[in-house]
Amino acid sequence: MSHITEQTPEASCMEALQTAGRIIMENGGETYRAEETVNRMGTGFGLENVESFAVPSGLFISYQGEDGNPVTSVKRVHRLGRNLTRVDEVNQVSRKVFTGEMNCQAALAKLREIDAMPGAFRGVWSLPAAFLCASGFTALFGGGWLAIAVAGVVAALVQGIETLLDRFRNRGLTASVIGGFVTALLPHLLALAISDLQVELIIAGAIMPLVPGLAMTTAVQDTMRGDMVSGLSHGAQAILTAFLIAGGALLAVAVIRQMTGGAV
Amino acid sequence: MPLWEEILRAVIGSFFGTVGFAMLVHVPKRAWLASGVIASFSYLVYWGCLHIGLSDPTSIFLGSFFGSLTGLLCARKMKIIGTVFLMSAVVPVVPGLGLYRMMAFLAQNRIGEGADMGIRAMITIAMIALGLGAGGMIDKMLHSHSLKNHHI
Repeated sequence: MSHITEQTPEASCMEALQTAGRIIMENGGETYRAEETVNRMGTGFGLENVESFAVPSGLFISYQGEDGNPVTSVKRVHRLGRNLTRVDEVNQVSRKVFTGEMNCQAALAKLREIDAMPGAFRGVWSLPAAFLCASGFTALFGGGWLAIAVAGVVAALVQGIETLLDRFRNRGLTASVIGGFVTALLPHLLALAISDLQVELIIAGAIMPLVPGLAMTTAVQDTMRGDMVSGLSHGAQAILTAFLIAGGALLAVAVIRQMTGGAV
Repeated sequence: MPLWEEILRAVIGSFFGTVGFAMLVHVPKRAWLASGVIASFSYLVYWGCLHIGLSDPTSIFLGSFFGSLTGLLCARKMKIIGTVFLMSAVVPVVPGLGLYRMMAFLAQNRIGEGADMGIRAMITIAMIALGLGAGGMIDKMLHSHSLKNHHI
């Protein structure tokens, strides 16, 4: 808090804009949303000629300073997570700033709070969420009770592995391959012991928590707003993730075929 | 499978599946229920279109289109970012099974069938994008840019 009071109001405003944009982009928000948020918050703070330019890996902000010279900042975006509650919270702050209900210091304090906010379903709590997701989709695809239960357990297990990888800061593309591999391998192994197991439906359901649904939505949203760079970047990320998951599954099928002499 | 069971599976499966997915991407708690309802609606539109004889790509387009329109309406009413509901509308029709089947065929050296599944999955993704885009465009035309629609 003492750090905030030491800053000039102008510096607090710039830090608030940087933090708002960064939180949106680090947590799965669209780049157009980051730009709009920065512009509206800047206007709400009373800054002149606010401009922003965001790409998935960074954010540039500029405005006209009190002495008439342009003030510019660059913020590199490193982490790419998925926490839509944080994006929504920043949106609420932005609304308040735009309507004059919040000043620079209050906005910055709230944004720091949002940045430190833990996700409701992180760590082991993400396991039941993965179970629910996979079970629901297996039921949707026509799976029986056993398939629904097995898909849920497999997805929870894969989520556990992802959580472990996350602790070693190794989430992302590696996790997609491993996730796809384990998701396809376990049902096949179980099928060796349990006859009539609906392997294909289990895999289809258990793979759903891994699919890049958010990246795909973000890609379409950015492209529709005319931001081709971010749209293509998010689209490429979604397609690459999907292919890596499928690649992991391919590897698992190949392993099972080796084990069973090509019977699968 | 009887018709009632198909409908029940479509509604319940897409609802719980999407709510679980929403939890994984930390969707705000106040949006969980609406996310599941929108997913069920979107999937029912898709299923209904298939049932009356429309092709799979057309059905996916219509499901995503009506899902995105409903999602954006809901986002405006609840003052929640639209991404939450747009994602929910498309998750049930994402071709996870198609991509897996493609890889399974390729692993068995059945290249033709694998390529066929891959192309189908790509068409599905394109139709989802088209449906979302069309829904967003109509929504934009219907609502002027005002503070009420701030950052939807």
